[in-house]
Parts: sequence; structure tokens; C-alpha cells
Amino acid sequence: MSVTTALSQLANYRAHNIRASQRTFENGYRVLQKNAYQNLGDEEWTFLEQLALASIDVGRLEVADQCLQLLSEKFPDSPRVECLTGIRMEASSSPEIALKYYSELLEADSANAAIWKRKISVLRRTGKTEKTVSELCAFLDTFYTDVEGWLELGDLYAESCQYTLSLQALSHALLLAPQNPFYALQFAETAYTAGDIPLALKTFLMVVDMSDGDDSGISLAESTPLGITVRAWFGVKLCTRRLLGPSPQVQPSASGTSSPTSNNVALLDELATERLRVAYSSSAGVKGEIARGREEVFAWVA
Amino acid sequence: MSSSSAVSLYLDPQIRDWVLFPITLVMILVGVLRHYVVVLLQAIPKKQSRAAIREQRALTRCQILRATSANSPIPPSFYKTISQNLSEALKAGTYLKDGPPKADTPSTAPNPLSDPAAMDGMMAGMKTQMVMMVPQMVIMGWINFFFQGFVLIKLPFPLTLGFKSMLQRGIETPDMDVRWVSSLSWYFLNFFGLNGLYRLILGGDNSADSSRDMTVSPFASMGTAQPGQPQDFTKLYKAERDNLEFAEGLYNWVGQDIDTKVLRKYGKLLPISKQ
Repeated sequence: MSVTTALSQLANYRAHNIRASQRTFENGYRVLQKNAYQNLGDEEWTFLEQLALASIDVGRLEVADQCLQLLSEKFPDSPRVECLTGIRMEASSSPEIALKYYSELLEADSANAAIWKRKISVLRRTGKTEKTVSELCAFLDTFYTDVEGWLELGDLYAESCQYTLSLQALSHALLLAPQNPFYALQFAETAYTAGDIPLALKTFLMVVDMSDGDDSGISLAESTPLGITVRAWFGVKLCTRRLLGPSPQVQPSASGTSSPTSNNVALLDELATERLRVAYSSSAGVKGEIARGREEVFAWVA
Repeated sequence: MSSSSAVSLYLDPQIRDWVLFPITLVMILVGVLRHYVVVLLQAIPKKQSRAAIREQRALTRCQILRATSANSPIPPSFYKTISQNLSEALKAGTYLKDGPPKADTPSTAPNPLSDPAAMDGMMAGMKTQMVMMVPQMVIMGWINFFFQGFVLIKLPFPLTLGFKSMLQRGIETPDMDVRWVSSLSWYFLNFFGLNGLYRLILGGDNSADSSRDMTVSPFASMGTAQPGQPQDFTKLYKAERDNLEFAEGLYNWVGQDIDTKVLRKYGKLLPISKQ
């Protein structure tokens, strides 16, 4: 592969934010060895940053060091290079050294979001959940719009079985990205785990409502649910089963969500069964081919 | 009468070579130079402290919450908690940079002249103004001194008399055809018209165009809310609290009747119109 194609592929990775570390490294290393990066103009530096990150990913630290060397010669005091240096440090040094480095940087510039996030991730990696949560809360209190941060916080809480708190964190993620069905699905699943069945049911239905149907013009009742919708239907089925079962199975909803009328629940149960049967009667998009796990699903929904 | 005078006037080609082209060239070069001087003068944006960012972004949180309140993705109990917490925090001033205000100190609007950060912003504005004003004044003086009353060019299309004051500034001739352009007017035409050329040479975000700066004085930005200018967050927070209350009234959870909606969508329940 020529250097030009390698470079265009790398630029494509950058534009679409694709991590593909191994391929990035292979392409980038070829460019680096031929010194072709020097005539890239301003692209040179983003290229070096990309290659440095990828080579840390694949464990070729000496290449990363070479990139870092070039970058820090060009930008001696850049916060971006400092962040990269920190990541390089995390790769080989102990977390304590990296933490100390990040804390020093944050002392100099308390509002450096990238460094702050790195620090939180190192904290989480070392297993200091309590410290991580308090740092992350402080971070999100300042940079409210960081969806990743809220998801991470929700995950941390769920890990420590604090499902109500996890739901609260996820609700912020929902507010920030109301169009993303995956966050809603995570919210629904967390609500189900927390035992708030009516809330879970309604959120699963929201996911269904958001993600079903395409523009192909087939009526919904005839279409095959795909991807995330199937998972949401599974959730609906789980919830309706709990709601239809004997009453002690369902605790009162912690969020005060009223469950649908029993007639609607019965209809939803029927609908979910039907949808799951449709989803598993043929594997995604291929007519006639039977999906894997069909027997089990049919037995479960029956 | 005007047509006969148009025929009778003959311009020395030396005027074209030594006046018309130099004026245009000098103005273009000064614009390019000015762009680079402004780039050099631009101070690195000051880093804000964590507290200052938090103060600014508190309003964004409320706006995000309000933006979806009519079709909110989050259930009522969550919405109410967030909304009320924000409202209380705004009331107590938890988000203010300097902490909650003391009860006894009277709230005064911050004085922009006493805040060093605001002064810096104003000084930067003045500096760019100076870079713009000085060369333009020099060029105008140069033209006025050497080429006063010169007729430089004849426009290739006829114009009405209304353009006379625009195109023949500096020449007091009531009868001359409007198509002739005087040196001072040529300067003004370049002054206002070169922006398109600068955009080609220097890119869209250039600071070479000086006519744009003419419309803003360095002090005009003081009244309006500009980033970097001091804002009275106590007042903004107060307004935002009203907005939050209003949004809470509008609030509706998207999942409220989602079960019937989905059932209708799949034809399990009859559509509303047929019921």
C-alpha cells in the first residue's frame, strides 16, 4: 500500500473518529518510517497525535515516544500534548505517578476538562470508586454537557448497586441526548433491575417507539423488528410478565409511575410475544433462514 | 450637456498607472498587513477558572432541561427533582463564582472598569481599533495631499445624478458626468468594497476589512452581553428561575401514554378517530 492511500485512510479514521488502533498503527508507522509526514502541512501534527494514541493502544511505546518527542518540540506548552504525555505515562508507569502528574496539571489550570477526565478514568481504574464518584460529580457539576461523563457515572452507581442514583445520572444523559434510543434502553434496563417495573415498561416502549420502523413503507405490523428494537421487545415482555403475574412480584414504583391499565398490559404482552416471534422466525433480513436460538425464544415467549 | 463634457474629458494614462493602481494596491496591501498585525496582537484567550466556567454553564443546564420539557424524555419525579434542585441552587446562588452572596452586602452591578479581566478585553478591542484607524487615516491623508481633485476613472455604465456625491467627492463640479470617479471616492469605494477580495486572499475569518470596524466603537460592546464581558449572574439566575417554573408548567413526559400510543401504532387498539 502506498503512503498516499495510507494517509487518506488515516484521514478517514480521524474524520469519523474510528479507533481501529492496529490498522491505524500499521498505516501510520509506514508513513513515519518514510518521513512522509513532514510534507503534510498542518495535518502533520494531528497525524502524529493519532499515531501516538494508536501505538500506545497496540503497545509499541517507542513509536509513541518518537511521536511525542516531535509534538512536544513543536508545541512545548500545549495542553493537548500534556494530555497525550499523560496517556503515555499511564501506559508504562504506575497509576500513582500518572495521578500525581494529572493533579499537578490541574493545579495549574483547574478547568482543563481533558486532563480532569483522564484523572477520573485513572481513579476508576485503580478501583477507588468513592473518590471517582466524587470527582466525577464535581466534573459534571462544572461541565454539565458531557454525556460520556453521565453514562460513566450511571455505570459506576450501577456497579455499586445504587440503581436509583444510576437512574438519576442516566436521566441527565437522556436530557442531553433525547434522540438516542440506546441511552433510553440503558435507562429502562436499569429501572428494571431496580425493580421499578412500570417505569421500565414505559421506557422500553419509548425505545420501541423511537427505533422501530424505517422508511421502507411496510406497515409496522408486518415489519421485522431489528437490532435494538428486539432487545426492547424482550424488555417489554419481561415487564408485562411481571405485571401480569401474581401481585407480590411487583413492588410499588419508586418513581411514582402509574402502570398501564391491565387491559393494555395484556395487549402489550400479546404484542411483544408476536413481535419476538416475528423477529426470530427468520434471521435478520434473510428470508427463509431460521434465526439462531429460535427454539429457546419461542419456548420462552409461549 | 453632460454627454458633451464626457466626450471632451480625456484622462492621462499616467493617472491610471501612477494614481489609480497605486491607491488600490496600497489599500489591498495595507488590509493584508493589518490582518497579520491583528493576528499578532491577539492575546491568547485567558484561561478561566473552574468556578467561572461553572457559573457560566449553570444557565445551560437549565436551558437543556427546559428545551425538552414539553416532551421530556425523563419521568415526572426525576424532572421535578432536577428542576427544583436547580431552582433552589439558583436562588441560593450556589453556582456563583464567589459563592453565595452575603445577606448584608447590597447587590450592585459589577463595574467593568474595576474588573481587570474586563479591562483586558476592552484594551484588546482598542488595540485592533488602532491598527485599523491609523493606516486608514494615513492613506486618506496621502490621497488628500497628493491627489486632491484628481479624476481617476470612468465607470462603464451610466448612473443617475444621485450618485454624484458618492462618486465625485472632493471635486466641486456641478456639470460633470456622474460616471467620472474622483480620487477620494475611489478610496471610499475600495474601503467598503475590498472585503470580498480579502476573503479570497485571507479566508473568511480575516480581520483585514476595516469598514466593518467602523460600525462598532470599542465601547459599544459594553452594554450588550458578550463573552468575556462582566455579567450580573444574580439577575440572569433570577430570570432563569421564572423560566424554569414556566417550563415545569409545560412539562409532559413522553412516556405518559406511550402504551396506548405503541398499541395504536401496531393496530392493537383502534386509532383515536375511529373510537
